[in-house]
Amino acid sequence: MNPVLAEIYSTIIPSAPYIIAAYALMWAALLIYVFMIVRGLKKTEAQMSILEEQVAELRAQNK
Amino acid sequence: MSVVLKTPSTFQQYKTLLRKDLEQEFRTKEMLTSMGIYALLVLVVFGAALGQTTQALDLLQVSGGLLWTLIVFTSLLGLNRSFNHEKEQGCLEGILLVPLDRSVIFLAKATSNILFLLAVEVITVPLFYFFFLTAVTPGESFWLLVLPLLVGTIGMAGIGTLLSTITVNTRGKDVMLAVLFVPIIFPLLFACASATTAIIVGADGALDVFYPALLLAAGYDVIMLLLSWVLYDFVISA
Amino acid sequence: MANAKKSHALPEGGQWPDAIAFWATLAGTVLTTIGFLMAFFFAGPVNGAAVDGLPEMIGGQMVSSKLLLSQKIFYFHMPVAIVSFGALAFAGYYSIRFLMTKNQRYDTCAKVAMEISLVFVICTMITGDLWTRFEWGVWWTWDPRLTTYLILMLIIIAYFVLRNFIDEPERRSIYSAVVSIIALVDVPICLMITRMIPSSIHPVVLREGGMTGDMGMTVGVCMIGMILLGFGLYRLRFRQVRLAQRVQALKDELEEN
Repeated sequence: MNPVLAEIYSTIIPSAPYIIAAYALMWAALLIYVFMIVRGLKKTEAQMSILEEQVAELRAQNK
Repeated sequence: MSVVLKTPSTFQQYKTLLRKDLEQEFRTKEMLTSMGIYALLVLVVFGAALGQTTQALDLLQVSGGLLWTLIVFTSLLGLNRSFNHEKEQGCLEGILLVPLDRSVIFLAKATSNILFLLAVEVITVPLFYFFFLTAVTPGESFWLLVLPLLVGTIGMAGIGTLLSTITVNTRGKDVMLAVLFVPIIFPLLFACASATTAIIVGADGALDVFYPALLLAAGYDVIMLLLSWVLYDFVISA
Repeated sequence: MANAKKSHALPEGGQWPDAIAFWATLAGTVLTTIGFLMAFFFAGPVNGAAVDGLPEMIGGQMVSSKLLLSQKIFYFHMPVAIVSFGALAFAGYYSIRFLMTKNQRYDTCAKVAMEISLVFVICTMITGDLWTRFEWGVWWTWDPRLTTYLILMLIIIAYFVLRNFIDEPERRSIYSAVVSIIALVDVPICLMITRMIPSSIHPVVLREGGMTGDMGMTVGVCMIGMILLGFGLYRLRFRQVRLAQRVQALKDELEEN
């Protein structure tokens, strides 16, 4: 490769890992947050089923 | 005989509240001694840290920062204490029962905190000078040091009063105060430290750094004090 | 029902913003993806230090200086930072609304906005730090911009620590509202610091001659995408938190009876 060309490109290859890491980690951070929201939803669903059981119990008592 | 009810003026309320804090302190001398000894201990720790270095280390460059480290840690201790005994003896509930403007409580408490901090600084800054700055020659306009000290102390006591009112009602109050206090105080700390360092080093054009930094610190003070003053009503009523 | 109109104005899951939230999230995802592709394939490379020797012909263009690939981080770094400031501003707005009305709903809004802000602050930190590592060769430096932003992050973290340390809901919401309003003071400082302190080495795009059209377009696409994404995430989280609160309230009521 032409030495001048090599120098022009000299910073591209070493910087690539950092760029990839920056985008990947940012993507991961957003994904983790979405994951947290989904986990919260699952918890609420579990609470909901407990609630349904309680309501069913109450109805059985009232009969 | 008729009973004349006189509502005390706001200034009188402020004076009474301030006098209460000062009298309590003069009686026990709890806060001043604990803060003073703590400051001395921090100085000793600095000594251990700097004792490892050779004389060649430029003490002048780091001493401004060290001085502010000392002040921040000492004021943290003092702020923690300042609301603790109000809480312990149910004094705060008593004050809140009195029909007075809540921001008067803030002003009185902030003033007493400023006074305590200044009292401690009067002892520790000469000690700091004695321990660290006698071996080197600080800049000529060294006495200007009082300006950043004053501005910094006012700001720290003002925000600190608000924050310590918040943290006194939380679990793990000492840690919580540090967690809130240090980041929020940071811009002020940064400006004050840079002004102090400029003065202590005393290089040419030091004043060109000193006054803008001081102005920045004063501006932050004004904004934060106004904000604390407005928000204090909500905090203390909670 | 005198309060009907008032309670209708309260933010609640399933209101009109949720109707657009899904499309906003979708559009945000598409736009950020397009922005990502544009950053690498559309926006021109930025020239770095000059190279000794003659200009070379690369792809039909004369190039005489090094090409900076690391600058591609900027296209996401700035939009993400702007969104974090915006979310913080919304948190401050809801905190003020809370202090005015003492309605817990606004506290929930403020908390969720603060969470969004934290997520985007972390994204900004990650992208900025990796750029710093490559361009300046250090993981961290006490540059004014970096420092004030770190402080902002610490205050936001302190906000959540504070929330965890208080048990009574009313007190917690008042205290955290106060802290989030104070945190708002750091935003203008953080924005202006690179202008105020010229010794800052953090790049200021406008100071350094602005952007060419293709770069501006890429940043714009990323910016709109990120704002939409932030909005979508906010609504999603808000809906989930509200659902959890409603279920909890129902449960409490059932246990009482």
